[in-house]
Amino acid sequence: MVIDTHIHPALFAPICEDQERFRRRCDAMNYHLMKPSDMALLRKQYALADIGRVVLLPEDCSVESGMVEISNDEIAKLVALDAQFYIGMATVDPRRPDAVQELERAFAELGLAGLAVNTARLKMYPMDERLVPLYDLCRKYHKPIIFHAGFCLENNALAKYARPMEFEEVALRWPEVNLCLAHFGWPWVQETAALLLKYPNLYANTALMNFDGPYQLFPKVFKQDMGEYWLDHNLADKVMFGSDSPRIRPVRSKRGLDSVEMLPETREKIYWKNAMRFFGWEGQNK
Amino acid sequence: MRFELKEVSICAEKEFELIRITDPVREFVAQTGVKNGVVYVITEHTTTGIMVNESLPCVEKDIMETLDRIAPEDYPYHHNHYLPTYGTIGGNAPGHLKSLLTGNHCVFPIVEGKIKLGSAADIYFCEYDGIKNRKYMIYVMGE
Repeated sequence: MVIDTHIHPALFAPICEDQERFRRRCDAMNYHLMKPSDMALLRKQYALADIGRVVLLPEDCSVESGMVEISNDEIAKLVALDAQFYIGMATVDPRRPDAVQELERAFAELGLAGLAVNTARLKMYPMDERLVPLYDLCRKYHKPIIFHAGFCLENNALAKYARPMEFEEVALRWPEVNLCLAHFGWPWVQETAALLLKYPNLYANTALMNFDGPYQLFPKVFKQDMGEYWLDHNLADKVMFGSDSPRIRPVRSKRGLDSVEMLPETREKIYWKNAMRFFGWEGQNK
Repeated sequence: MRFELKEVSICAEKEFELIRITDPVREFVAQTGVKNGVVYVITEHTTTGIMVNESLPCVEKDIMETLDRIAPEDYPYHHNHYLPTYGTIGGNAPGHLKSLLTGNHCVFPIVEGKIKLGSAADIYFCEYDGIKNRKYMIYVMGE
């Protein structure tokens, strides 16, 4: 079984009914020439990669774009289709006057599983004071945070706001909150690895398909950019599978990781066990 | 002369799959009432194909394995790069190449209202980049 910790549901048909909204969302997130996907088809595609649960990421940069790209209510709507399969994250543009209330509503009323933040898109550093109340709320509700980290292919985003080391102070000041640096902070994967070594509350996911095919990129990142034994000997408990669908198809991302040599117990942790711990579900059934 | 077109939706159960479509083609030819003419079967996609071959599991397996040897998944294809026009990573070069090798259509005569196939011939829709919702066309021309 695999838990995919990084799915942007921008094309999920149940939230694509408004064509103008769909167009604006795709423009903002840099997805083009794509159609909405029906849910049955998506489930078949996930099954190809043995994916049994997926984490859905919302997007809210509305103060700049004028529209919440993927709202908390839309995420909740998708989770309601199959709560055993979909894990919904919440988000809010921290520049919104109602940011804290909206996040609290997402946790308390919608029951969403954590917070997703893209500081590259928001163009604010992770320790920006406008984000601090959101982190405090995550601590209060025992919710993890998934940060976009590293280079961002979305339009109007700057990677300098999401360089892995910029998240160190968040890891230090909110030790009770589990944090994930998405995309392994690519291209700064060594910075991410260093942080993973030090902070028990810090995780990273493997949603990093930017160059080449999966059979070239994953061995390059995990066996050349990082040391041969880093995954098995140092980071086995800190890495989670993530695909970054729809930018890359989950089955291809999974094949890339399958091609990286590692111990079977490391693979099992990366594919699902670490995600269970990240969300505080360790010991529960898959 | 009559011209009849049907668009057929199809969705594989696997990522790579050969799906026999002889019966739906035969049925459409019969529905049109055309007695003498030709029928074309054409895929609408560039990572699928239309193939004619013998419907034996061993032959199907040999075809798929041979295509895999010619266009393996792990080759460093030029197409494996970020595509700004889509905002995605091109990852389906093997599908494009297998489509090229298979071809996008087949054609058969219609004689006395029936498609004239060889005794071992079956028509296949070939999925090389699934799982996706796909379409192929059946186009009948005749009298």
